[in-house]
Amino acid sequence: MRAFEKNKRLILGAVGIFVFLCIWYIATKSTTLGKVMPDPVTVFGGFFTAFVEPIGTKTMTMHILISLRRMLVPYAIGGFTGVLIGILMGWYKVADAIFMPYIQMLRPIPPIAWIPLSIIWFGFDEGSKYFLIFLACFFTIALTTYNGVHSVDETLVRASRMLGANDRQLFMTIVLPTTVPYIFSGLQVALGSAWATIVAAEMIRSSEGVGWLIVRGQDIGNMTQIMIGIVAIALTGLLITTLMRVLENKLCAWTVRGK
Amino acid sequence: MEKKEAKVVVNHLTKKFGDLLVLDDLNFEVQEGEFLCIVGPTGCGKTTFLNSLTRLYEPTAGDILVNGIPVNPKTQNISYIFQEYSSFPWLTVEQNVRFGLEIKKTPKAEADANVEEMLDIVGLTKFRNYYPSQLSISMLQRVAIARAFATKPELLLMDEPYGQLDIDLRFKLEDELIKLWKKTGTTVLFITHNIEEAVYLSEKIMVLTNKPTSVKTVLDNNLPRPRDVTSPEFVELRNKVTDLIKWW
Repeated sequence: MRAFEKNKRLILGAVGIFVFLCIWYIATKSTTLGKVMPDPVTVFGGFFTAFVEPIGTKTMTMHILISLRRMLVPYAIGGFTGVLIGILMGWYKVADAIFMPYIQMLRPIPPIAWIPLSIIWFGFDEGSKYFLIFLACFFTIALTTYNGVHSVDETLVRASRMLGANDRQLFMTIVLPTTVPYIFSGLQVALGSAWATIVAAEMIRSSEGVGWLIVRGQDIGNMTQIMIGIVAIALTGLLITTLMRVLENKLCAWTVRGK
Repeated sequence: MEKKEAKVVVNHLTKKFGDLLVLDDLNFEVQEGEFLCIVGPTGCGKTTFLNSLTRLYEPTAGDILVNGIPVNPKTQNISYIFQEYSSFPWLTVEQNVRFGLEIKKTPKAEADANVEEMLDIVGLTKFRNYYPSQLSISMLQRVAIARAFATKPELLLMDEPYGQLDIDLRFKLEDELIKLWKKTGTTVLFITHNIEEAVYLSEKIMVLTNKPTSVKTVLDNNLPRPRDVTSPEFVELRNKVTDLIKWW
């Protein structure tokens, strides 16, 4: 029964995408849209060809891998520091009072606004790109972790206190497990925003990566290359968020099994 | 001293929240292995009393001694069963039952044996690997009971644990509780607003007054077990307690 439901989801999703591709194809072939925009066959053809024939100096595999590294390094740093700061702010009122104003002020600034400053601080190399992506994920992770610590059920705290738990045991056995699903939802959302920021990051001088495909495509007026870049970001994004979900289901079995 | 030392001694226990006097000079003793039910009108501060007993609140005056020393859940083996469902959602049934034993760092062999015994008594052996979200309400409350008894507590505090259950399940769990109590010899303090439940379970019934709370009286309950809720003696005692609680 559940297998059927799962397949139904997959089939409906595939049908939806197929219908969209058909509309796209017909629109480019039968209207003037075709003059400014390539049809899906050209775009996907170009995307898969790029795995063997390089665009710029690299093949598609390398573009994706380089961009993934650019995203994952700061994502890991942002994840680690975000969880740490989030827990500190949730657990200690002093940390909350100190860090919260910074987070609330800096969070609404879009990563792209930091490009000039990040170049001055970290140069044109990987450092400034890492910084932008770090900003894209850190705040989300810190805040969801903070909310997780605050959502701890008082009844469970009382229960573990009554069974004799000290502060450390209380933290390890109650606060942390309560927070883990929140951390995961923060990591999931942040993964999306980190990956979405790859284009902004690769606007800073670069000669490869999926964001570069788009920035470069714009410079040389190559619409097909731009769309190939979009497809590369979309498909890679789908892949990594799916992997993340699988990981979450493994590690937070208790939130999933009951459903 | 010819008299047996009491398990729990409450001396002049008083609790104020600001100017509001909630507990007014409570004095009583509970003997080892006794099953004491505490009843009183709604909002009479029963829960405040238990929270003071467990040091979740510091009393304003007076003290509570367990085995002659001031009560402290960190050093004394006390368990508590709540009105709310308090099983840990990220742990399986078995891990929930084991929780207190791990907090207290009980040796593994002993912990294993206790967990098996408790799962067996409450009938959850088959469900040991289930998570709380997969269980029914009565099973959740059984998990809480098994968790509380698994540490072989010296004192078990129960705060209207069956308040939210329907009547069939309540009878069933009450019988299980009596079974566990007899088997372990634990001293039990059971708070309830359900007089029938108090008469069914207890050896002694303590009646509290309306706020500010003090002890109105303590009744002995020597009805033979298993008890029949329809027997004349049962009904008589129940009516007696009901009359004592009436404040109108």
